Amino acid sequence: MTWNYSKKTTELFMAAVSGQPGTHLGEIEDADGFGEHGSLACGDALRFTFRVDRHPSDPRQDRITEARYLTFGCTSAIAASEALCAIIEEGDFTPIGALQITNQDIVKYLDGLPQAKIHCSVMGAEALEAAVFNWAQKRGVDLAELGIDIRHDEQEEGRLVCTCFGLTEPYILRKIEELNLTSIPEITNAIKAGGACMSCHHTPGGLQDMLDQVNGARATSLKQLPVLPMARAPRAQPPAEMSPFKFAKRVEEVIETYVRPQLAKDAGDIEIIDIKDSKVYCTMKGACANCMGSQSTIKMLVEQALKDQIDQRIQVIEV
Amino acid sequence: MNIIYMDNNATTRVAPEVVEALMPFLTDDYFNPSSLYEPAHIPAEAITSARKTVARLLGNARPPEILFTSCATESNNTAVFGTITANPDRRHIITTGVEHPAIFSVGEDLQRRGIEVDFIPVDADGQIDRVEFVRALRSDTLMVSVMHANNETGVIFPVEELSRITKETDESIIFHTDATQTVGKLPIDLRGSFKHVDLLSFSGHKLHAPKGIGALYIRRGTRCRPFLLGGHQEDGRRAGTENVAFIVGLAKALEIAMDRHDEDEPQILAMRDRLESELVARIPYLEVNGKNSPRLSNTLNVACHFIEGEGILYQLSAQGICASSGSACTSGSLEPSHVLRAMHIPFSAIHGSVRFSLSRYNTEAEIDRVIEVFPGIVDSLRRLSPYWDAKNNQPRPEAMEMLTQTDMP
Repeated sequence: MTWNYSKKTTELFMAAVSGQPGTHLGEIEDADGFGEHGSLACGDALRFTFRVDRHPSDPRQDRITEARYLTFGCTSAIAASEALCAIIEEGDFTPIGALQITNQDIVKYLDGLPQAKIHCSVMGAEALEAAVFNWAQKRGVDLAELGIDIRHDEQEEGRLVCTCFGLTEPYILRKIEELNLTSIPEITNAIKAGGACMSCHHTPGGLQDMLDQVNGARATSLKQLPVLPMARAPRAQPPAEMSPFKFAKRVEEVIETYVRPQLAKDAGDIEIIDIKDSKVYCTMKGACANCMGSQSTIKMLVEQALKDQIDQRIQVIEV
Repeated sequence: MNIIYMDNNATTRVAPEVVEALMPFLTDDYFNPSSLYEPAHIPAEAITSARKTVARLLGNARPPEILFTSCATESNNTAVFGTITANPDRRHIITTGVEHPAIFSVGEDLQRRGIEVDFIPVDADGQIDRVEFVRALRSDTLMVSVMHANNETGVIFPVEELSRITKETDESIIFHTDATQTVGKLPIDLRGSFKHVDLLSFSGHKLHAPKGIGALYIRRGTRCRPFLLGGHQEDGRRAGTENVAFIVGLAKALEIAMDRHDEDEPQILAMRDRLESELVARIPYLEVNGKNSPRLSNTLNVACHFIEGEGILYQLSAQGICASSGSACTSGSLEPSHVLRAMHIPFSAIHGSVRFSLSRYNTEAEIDRVIEVFPGIVDSLRRLSPYWDAKNNQPRPEAMEMLTQTDMP
């Protein structure tokens, strides 16, 4: 998978990482709007801040004068953050006006993004929205009154669908609608949902069901495959007529009384890892652990003791 | 711009001697080795001779035990599916959580087909948990498949020990190892320390032969059905007209690797160690993945806390340096590498991994160049990171606790 970024994308990225003048790296202190999207665990995160020129009487007429970002993410995530700040500063927006900026505007500004990277532009639009909501709270603007849907609670409150990226049902449903998503790959490209363990794709209430709910159901032949019962061979009988429990007890006893004292003379020790049928798995400890002769010690001392004391069929395996 | 190629665990430059050895079979000696007329004897003889060479260099294996395939992925698929179809009475397979996808994904697919597969976990240094391994062995275990060295971290697994434990437990369990990263780099003695290994896969393009050629060692007497049907080639065990030129190339490449091993290996190791210690000294919050395990001498996998690997690779590439990353944005999936996740690398670092893998064609001057540019690249991305305090060049206080968190929320 080689890079297929547009020239614009790579230019913005290189300008940002080399700290060229005119780029928007940073965080505004005491910002008028503060918004975040993504997380370290998810692999990308954006912190977006802006400052406004405050209107003396009507906060709705505030003008955004400066926008800054800090981004943890790949080339396109950083370029998309640059693009977002540039669009906002070039456009002389009010915060409410800035809500009109969509991820598509960011994609357009970048002269396109690879399908698998669309979520980088969505992250920009989400952080912007969060920052505008933050501004509205600070400035006492009631967005709901203006007919703007504030859904900053939906991430916390809905049923968790994509557990890998922590995305909820109301959020995913809204994004399917807003971004006209028609398939699971499109959802994954846009908001990452379903992109990791994929277990939410076709489960009840999963991504396909949500697509059907928004776009109308379609015929699907995908079914979960039945798990076949496995053919397990019956276990071989433990040696003699001893129960496995008694057998294990006897092994421990012999190790304790005959083997350990012998090994202790050379400052060594032994640990039983497991017992399967007549096979006893041991690991050598202490001075014995690094001894070149440990393998023969096991055979000569441990195995012989167990054979003599319990059963000739016993086999000792060094781990 | 001069290319500095440090991605040799992905693929390698084809050695000029290999190109020279294989060229005649792309030009004059193009005949089908299965044909009866006189000119076809030359390619047929070339395959026989290549098979002998490969067998000899893997510890005097018998030539008929070497099967030529198209790649290590085919070898792995043949090993697993061939063993399953030949032994229908057993339905349990043991492998590790850090295998190459050519085994790992096959294992996941087998689970969907109703075969039980245990993926043995690894510790923080990428080393296999031997106790878990022993406990997983069962009376109905069909097969164990454990890679010899990991492609991402270079961590070497004790295949000699694990195969011995397996065979001492039950002679009829079939032991497979994917040795794609180690053939030509580590000694493999199928009559000696590897005498308990039944199946061994590798490919040519990791050791300076072309892409499109691989091999599978099948110990005599191992029950393994063919994967590709439809021809008598390779004694009926792998149908399809032989890739004569690349088979010759593979044998030549292996011969060179073995010849030069004692000379190349210390040089590569010295370069890797210098790169490692210089980067660790120059960059704060840099982890070396698998550092406490035995590792391939050509591989260095570092993780930079609080930045994303793709942006690092892009800037390295702009400087002509080729490396790779296990970050989500470079994997084609949205998850970071399953190998690093299995090692429980903290998620502040897991997205910022970079792998440098060297070969005999790398030079000290190239190492100098990477040491020169890499710290600046890390720094440029950390300045952009919301978790990094650029002024004091350390994580922000609120991000400090993330340094140890390993579970996805």
